[in-house]
Amino acid sequence: MSLTAVSVSTIAGSISPKVPAAAFTNAHAGAAAASPGAAARIAAWPLAAEAITVRYGRRNAVDGVSLSLPEGAVYALLGRNGAGKSSLVRCLLGQQRATAGRALLFGRDAWRHRATLMAQVGVVPEQPDAPPGVTARQLARLCRPLYPCWDGSGFEARLRRFDVPADRPFGRLSKGQQGHVALALALAPHPRLLILDDPTLGLDAVARRAFFEELIGDLADRGTTVLLTTHDLAAVERIADRAGILAGGRLLLDEEIERLKQRFRHIWLPSPTPGADAALDALSPRGRVRRNWRVETLVENFDEERFQAFQASPSGAGAEASPLTLEEIFVALTGEGSRQLAPGAEGDPR
Amino acid sequence: MNATFRIDASDPRPIWRQIEESVRNLVASGALPPSASVPSVRELARGLAVNPATVAKAYQRLADAGVLAVRRGDGTFVAAAPPAITGEQRGERLRTEALRYASFAATLGASLEEAAAALAATWRDLARPPGDREDEAGPARKGGPT
Repeated sequence: MSLTAVSVSTIAGSISPKVPAAAFTNAHAGAAAASPGAAARIAAWPLAAEAITVRYGRRNAVDGVSLSLPEGAVYALLGRNGAGKSSLVRCLLGQQRATAGRALLFGRDAWRHRATLMAQVGVVPEQPDAPPGVTARQLARLCRPLYPCWDGSGFEARLRRFDVPADRPFGRLSKGQQGHVALALALAPHPRLLILDDPTLGLDAVARRAFFEELIGDLADRGTTVLLTTHDLAAVERIADRAGILAGGRLLLDEEIERLKQRFRHIWLPSPTPGADAALDALSPRGRVRRNWRVETLVENFDEERFQAFQASPSGAGAEASPLTLEEIFVALTGEGSRQLAPGAEGDPR
Repeated sequence: MNATFRIDASDPRPIWRQIEESVRNLVASGALPPSASVPSVRELARGLAVNPATVAKAYQRLADAGVLAVRRGDGTFVAAAPPAITGEQRGERLRTEALRYASFAATLGASLEEAAAALAATWRDLARPPGDREDEAGPARKGGPT
């Protein structure tokens, strides 16, 4: 894709050939296993984790995680602290060897080919770190020889847009400015893949907004593939097209955000009747049923027709179905009480 | 774009559809007149803080429907003669948004008269010149979550 401003048609053209959701849901278990050709294609995608396990002592920090990103994907890897995100990201960056499984970048083993692969990957680490006395401009000069291409004027332009003084020592920049320098450095070599590890942690709302605007500009100009870990779910909802949720080292789900939001609903019942619970069961609710002043339940595979039938039944009168934000879905799946969401679990009357 | 719109995370519609319908509404209402220039994908994506692919999808659908016209190298414009939305579509969209507002007002225990008066007051406020308003929300979206 051209580096200059891109017209609508070029962008749209780069989107339509995107792999349909079904082709990369559980790619390794499903589509890939079905045909060796598909497996080879997925293996050459910008990023693929193949059944990665990381064991510390007797504990699996990452437990058989497989996921893959086609060209141009913006993937959000979500999880509570300690869910295994950092260990997984270290494997993907070739900084850590998986106990089992492997990480592939552009089809090559991230651990064995780290040095060559990292020249094609832009990284914004969790804690941007640089010698405190070195300025942003000096950092760029240090990084430049490590990459086959380096967009020096783009780097300077980004610093100006971020309002970061290029000649101020790194140690005297604010946390937000340090994050902005890290992004400007990561984008300067025009990487095909960006790995952003909680890049906006500790940034204020204005700095965060500037960070994402710059990232969005790069997506528009170059169609960069992005893996992002973050707790900023409102931003993820707008920017990522797919999300994976890690809990206890396992990937709870790996799905397009649009589809995820389509299938989750909160169902509210204003005045529960004696038969309401049984009637709600017809919607296969997953999760808590509260009996305070009304009944609330979570439906994981919402079906409009079944819900309308429920509304028309005597026990469903006045029922409302409200969509969930990504944050609400995340809390429902990983927060307290989420064990009741395990398949087959009964709703827990309180 | 003179009139702005917002993306609502609690809206069950996908973001590309929210963008598509907001632009359609702005065109239908005349806020975006025929042949008017619309922001580039890059510009609108940055403005709304959404993935450019999402904006591109909305624009592509609008171009396919003849609402927008893409002139290569020149940008994106409202079509010279954009298709008018039918009375039926218009009524349907108004009812959808009215349902949101009505449900919200009902949870507050507002009467029909109260709800209608609040709507009328907001309507008059929007008709005032910009800068004189209390709320900058576009005419496309009203009401709150149900």
